[in-house]
Amino acid sequence: MSEREKAKRPMSPRRKRYLTAIGLSGLIGIIMGAWSQVDNFDEHARFALLNNSPLTPSFAIGASILWIVGLIVCLFIYHRAVDDHEERAYLWAGLAAWYTFVLSAPTWWVLHRADLAPPVDTMLLFLGAMLVNCAVWLWLKYR
Amino acid sequence: MNNKLKVLRAMRNWSQAELADRLDVSRQAVNAIETGKYDPSLPLAFKLARLFEMPIEEIFDDEFEGSNNV
Repeated sequence: MSEREKAKRPMSPRRKRYLTAIGLSGLIGIIMGAWSQVDNFDEHARFALLNNSPLTPSFAIGASILWIVGLIVCLFIYHRAVDDHEERAYLWAGLAAWYTFVLSAPTWWVLHRADLAPPVDTMLLFLGAMLVNCAVWLWLKYR
Repeated sequence: MNNKLKVLRAMRNWSQAELADRLDVSRQAVNAIETGKYDPSLPLAFKLARLFEMPIEEIFDDEFEGSNNV
C-alpha cells in the first residue's frame, strides 16, 4: 500500500470513538483545572485542585457534577471503543489499583488509631491507586 | 502461545498498522499478539482466521503434544 493510500485510509468508527473519549476526558480536566484556578485563587496555594485549601461552593458543586457526568460519558464511549488488548490492560490495571487501596487504606487507618501515622488522607489513597493503575495500564498496553 | 502472524503479515506486505486497521484493533494489539505477550480472544482469533483464510490452529500453536481427545 502506497503512502498516499495509507493517508487516504479513513479512520475507523472504533478509533473515532476512542479519540473522542480521550479528547473529552482531557477537555474535562482542562476545564476543571482552569475553573479551579479562576474561582479559587489563593496566593499561598498555586494549584487549587492539588491541595486542601477551601473551595467555593459554586466550584465544588460544578466540579462534582462535571466529574461524575463527564466521567460516566467518557467511560461509556471508551468502553465501546477499546479492543481486546486494551480492555485486558484496563482490567488488570483496575485490579492492581484496587489491591493498592485494599492494602494501604486499612493499614494507614490502623496505624493512625495507634498514633503511629497522620490521619488518613482520602486523596492520597486515590492518587496512589491511580498512579498504580496508570503504571500497569501503560506497561500492559505499550511494553 | 506461538503464532505465525508476523510471517503471514509479511507475506502480504502489510504493516502492523495496516493489519490493525483490517482487524479494527490498535497497532499495539497486533504487536502484542505477534510478540506473544498477549493471546487474542476467541472472536479476534476467528477474525484473524477469516482475514488470512486459514484455520485458527494453523495460525496459533499452543505447543500441546498430548492426546487429541483433550
